[in-house]
Amino acid sequence: MSESAAPLAEGHGATMEPSPFGIPSKKLTMWLFIASDAVTFGVVLFAYSYLRAGTPDWPAPFQFSSSIVNGMVMTVVLLTSSLTMLGAVQAAKAGRKASSLKWLSLTVLLGIVFAVLHLREWFHMFGEGWGFSKNPAGGPVLFGATFFSITGLHLMHVISGVIALIVIGIGYKVNWLDEVHVETTGLYWHFVDLVWMFVFPLLYLMNAAR
Amino acid sequence: MEASRNPGIKSYLIVWNGLLYIAGAEVFLTYCGFSTHMLLAILLSFAFIEAGIGLLYFMHLKYERLSLRWALMVAVTFVLLMMNEIWPDAYRMASLALR
Repeated sequence: MSESAAPLAEGHGATMEPSPFGIPSKKLTMWLFIASDAVTFGVVLFAYSYLRAGTPDWPAPFQFSSSIVNGMVMTVVLLTSSLTMLGAVQAAKAGRKASSLKWLSLTVLLGIVFAVLHLREWFHMFGEGWGFSKNPAGGPVLFGATFFSITGLHLMHVISGVIALIVIGIGYKVNWLDEVHVETTGLYWHFVDLVWMFVFPLLYLMNAAR
Repeated sequence: MEASRNPGIKSYLIVWNGLLYIAGAEVFLTYCGFSTHMLLAILLSFAFIEAGIGLLYFMHLKYERLSLRWALMVAVTFVLLMMNEIWPDAYRMASLALR
């Protein structure tokens, strides 16, 4: 039985009030995590933007033909993975487990593609001499520190999301978890997608060679 | 309990397309010759629009109870707005440094 259908049917449920927000507790917990994580990303992105706007000789190493195009492909991949995640949630809510699992698998695959593209970009930059405290162009080293820490934080969220989707998919397949778990994990996945909507313009486009 | 309305796959495709177009517009505007500060303002504005659309449609916040929307968004929006205090000092740094 899903949590939304009978949230408080057991244990101390009879003595508890229903949720004022009309959603299962695990979904509310995910929303609260997302709110706090949004502030975390907000802090690091604002700190980066402060340095970027306040440093006249900030490097702009990203050429259109490789890095920006790569970033655009990553954006398309991540946005499409949100679409497949919506397919998984809709199918799970409709009770179509096989279809939901198919969409979940596709979402995992797109998440892995995103991570591979991201790491490829990183290693390309390492090869050019960029590092956490290295600037081969001779300007501020904070570019490397901010770029690798912020994109690394986002990449960690993507990899965590892929692992979570695999665990949720297996649990859902063997009836250990239900459709609310799929929906709740979907919320996290969409959040990771939305964060990229800030990371790509601020970290890549603002540092494009123009 | 939970709002059961769902926009459907057609609406999702429209939103997905819209987000792709906005991302494409960001790339186009990057090469339009704006100053760094103007470009930063434009890209941040577009990013907030994308985030709002994603929150409302992909994350279904539009279809949740008003109480949830208020409980979540007021605090986060307040914190993010307060962070905008940094800009005057960032611009001051840019005008002072490394001439």
